[in-house]
Amino acid sequence: MQALSPLKLLSRFGASFMEVAQDVGGMAVLLYKVIRCFFPPKLDGMETWRNLYKVGVKSAPIVVVTALLTGAIMVIQSGALVAQFDAFGLLGWGAGFATLREVGPIMIGLMFSGRVGANNTAELGTMKVTDQIDALRALAIDPITYLLVPRFIAIVLMMFLLTIVGDLTALVGGAYTGQVLLGVSPSLFASSVIEYIKLEDLFNGLFKAFTFGVAIAVVSSHYGMTTSGGAVGVGRSVNNSVVASAVLIFVLDYFITSILH
Amino acid sequence: MTKHTQAYVAALSPTQRRIAQLGVLFVPIVTQVTDILRVGSLAFYYAFKKPIRWREVVQQSFFIGNRSLAFVMIVLGFLGMILIFQSGFQAKRIVGDLQGMGALYLQLLFREFAPTVTALMLATRVGTGIAAEIGSMVVTEQVDALRMNNAEPIQYLVVPRLIASIVMTFVLSCVALCVAFGTGMFVANTVFEVNVATFYNTSLLEWGDLIIFSLKALAYGITIPIIASQAGLSAFGGSEGVGTATTMAVVNASLAVTILDFVLSGVGYIFFFS
Repeated sequence: MQALSPLKLLSRFGASFMEVAQDVGGMAVLLYKVIRCFFPPKLDGMETWRNLYKVGVKSAPIVVVTALLTGAIMVIQSGALVAQFDAFGLLGWGAGFATLREVGPIMIGLMFSGRVGANNTAELGTMKVTDQIDALRALAIDPITYLLVPRFIAIVLMMFLLTIVGDLTALVGGAYTGQVLLGVSPSLFASSVIEYIKLEDLFNGLFKAFTFGVAIAVVSSHYGMTTSGGAVGVGRSVNNSVVASAVLIFVLDYFITSILH
Repeated sequence: MTKHTQAYVAALSPTQRRIAQLGVLFVPIVTQVTDILRVGSLAFYYAFKKPIRWREVVQQSFFIGNRSLAFVMIVLGFLGMILIFQSGFQAKRIVGDLQGMGALYLQLLFREFAPTVTALMLATRVGTGIAAEIGSMVVTEQVDALRMNNAEPIQYLVVPRLIASIVMTFVLSCVALCVAFGTGMFVANTVFEVNVATFYNTSLLEWGDLIIFSLKALAYGITIPIIASQAGLSAFGGSEGVGTATTMAVVNASLAVTILDFVLSGVGYIFFFS
């Protein structure tokens, strides 16, 4: 690496700053355009239906597996503490609270961004570099209403619904691990969950899931639609998309957590 | 389903067909797992054989380590703040005493969050990077060109990434630990008014925590590049194939990290903490 003069360093910093600003601006414009399509609703019914199946049903197994393991890991990690204080009645609360409010939405969001967001970017990016999106425009079909709005609906709705499924399976995984590892009966686990966990905790997590869904949809669509440069470009776009989604998930989570308290 | 299997399925009785339909679900999983094991064992075989391209190892370390540093630091910084926020409010409500929070938090970071979340981030950042790079090389027939020149692609491409990733995952996990603890300490100090000296409490740390931390970092560092390389090497058919390969890399790598986390946490609990 060559030595950097201060001026060069500054210009490099400025260049990357401009890049980030361009991406953020692009996402904001994209979100605005997508939301505008809902008033009045303009979307392709068949395409939406197809995307709901592809996004929701096809991601269900991976979400269930991740959630089961997440619940189990939470119980293992709180296990030592619970055994130390002999507070087995609090196991359901500890694992359930952490899963419903924090770890569940984050883990499912990360998995979702990997499975669906990356797929979305790859699909749109391939269409972009093979000029299929220009072809749509040439046929007077608006790519926003035809491609983006159905994907947006599918991703946001399915992230929300799959988080509900995931929360439930995480609790089941936690209860089972508690029985195997600590000898806590599932009924004690369940009563602890019912007693200490409020509906508010679940809704807090679901609100997070909704926000993450919007973030994943916007980020993955933006990077897909701005792909350029053949097969290499598609790979680069997917990479940028999953990285940006992951950062956004954690940043949004922090702000939601700190504001809602 | 290929034509051959379709003809085979058509010749079955209804009961047999139902069993076959059940089995078809597992075929892609089994093929992928065996292929990952094949790439992994070949990579290990070549990792202990000369020559190793050390220059490429350094370059890959730069890509995996330096280029992911900002990303990992941002994510783990926010994670640290989130964790202390959540646990702080709960502890205040139920226990009412925040003096032991720092020690517990440090222990949890060692055992769980620092290595695992770093690995999840590397699975997205480095996993997609490796899969996209190798996948583009496959679809533009550069890997075939390597084979024609009698260079084994796994030795030439995968081994440097494997070595770089093992080192860099460990280093980044250590950095992540410090960042997450620092931001957590900041929130504890500003929001909950816990003294910095009280928060920095290593009394709960044991050798087991350090061993689990290292084991996890090592396991993730081995798994991520192998799974990503396998996804890249199995790419076919233009830009669409590269997209599929990168998606496969993130999903498989994240899932593998979660499964390894579960197994290693369980092992750690049984051996060290129960």
